[in-house]
Amino acid sequence: MRSRSVQPAFSFEYIMWIFMRISGLALILLAIAGVSGAFIMGARTQVDLPTLMRWTFFPNPNHVINSEIPDVAVGWATAYWQVMQMLIIFFAVTHGFNGLRNVIEDYTDKTLLQPFVRGLIFLLWLFALIVSIYVILAS
Amino acid sequence: MQVTLKIFRFNPETDKKPSYKTYQVEAQPTDRVLDLLEYIKSTIDGTLSFRRSCAHGICGSDAMRINGRNRLACKALVKDLGNRITVEPLLGMRVLKDMIVDMEPFFENYRQVMPYFINDEPPPARERLQSIEERERFDDTTKCILCAACTTSCPSFWANEKYVGPAAIVNAHRFIFDSRDRAGKERLDILNGQFGVYRCHTIFNCTDACPREIQVTKAIGEVKAAIATGKLD
Repeated sequence: MRSRSVQPAFSFEYIMWIFMRISGLALILLAIAGVSGAFIMGARTQVDLPTLMRWTFFPNPNHVINSEIPDVAVGWATAYWQVMQMLIIFFAVTHGFNGLRNVIEDYTDKTLLQPFVRGLIFLLWLFALIVSIYVILAS
Repeated sequence: MQVTLKIFRFNPETDKKPSYKTYQVEAQPTDRVLDLLEYIKSTIDGTLSFRRSCAHGICGSDAMRINGRNRLACKALVKDLGNRITVEPLLGMRVLKDMIVDMEPFFENYRQVMPYFINDEPPPARERLQSIEERERFDDTTKCILCAACTTSCPSFWANEKYVGPAAIVNAHRFIFDSRDRAGKERLDILNGQFGVYRCHTIFNCTDACPREIQVTKAIGEVKAAIATGKLD
């Protein structure tokens, strides 16, 4: 049987399709790491569920200080947890905004409106990322 | 046995809204839903409208929603459905009258993937030979009868009829993996776009709905793999 092949085709949609799968898996793993970290640093006996969720998904030191556990902010304010927070934020925000793009593009035609909406979503995505990273690094 | 048929009715010339009408008919367990519809049309209500042609599961004209699932009326037996049967048109397409839907968006998507043999190389003296293995590669997707049961069971298509849909991808698959065809790249480029294969979220509704038992979701997965790797074998 003669082998047939063509140049693999890459497109924006293909890259985002792969990204949605990788980011979905990454978010689950990061959430498990976040919950484990929160438990290890005192959430096991001393906080309620909303606080635990806040720690898990956006554990910046401000959130931690605002909860009732004393002296744990130091544990969170390390480069390791800052990188973890940034990864969670990057994957969650990008995953969410790409989903939003798909939904909106179901209702917009391929006229001028679609590039405009895409641009708007891109700017909002960038804004959300920059603000989040600022909060993580500045808090 | 007595069967109660609850049938979706809509006549755009007289009705503002669709409604359901109920009919009591005497049926044999081995009767098909199509037999009951024919009986109602010929003896109770001649205005009942539905498509049918061969009545043997080959032409794909009489796909409709029977007890909530897309089936061919000519293949759905009363004994498998019970004595209360609901008949509705396919979802996701505009209803023209009763069970008749506007199939044009479906066929527009179908035409997009160039569902025909393309090979500009000069033909050999006899036929273009193909081994048994090469023919076997796309055998499953040759069985499609374009009834639209798969595409209209797909939530991605319900959300946006511009999504080419499972049936178009199945028909693209039939030619992409045909060793004699030369337009695989063009078809993959079309399916690599905004409304191509990535709208498929692998929920398997299409595979469940196919009256020809084509492994539709598997075929879509193979097209996705072909786009990523470029391999057409």
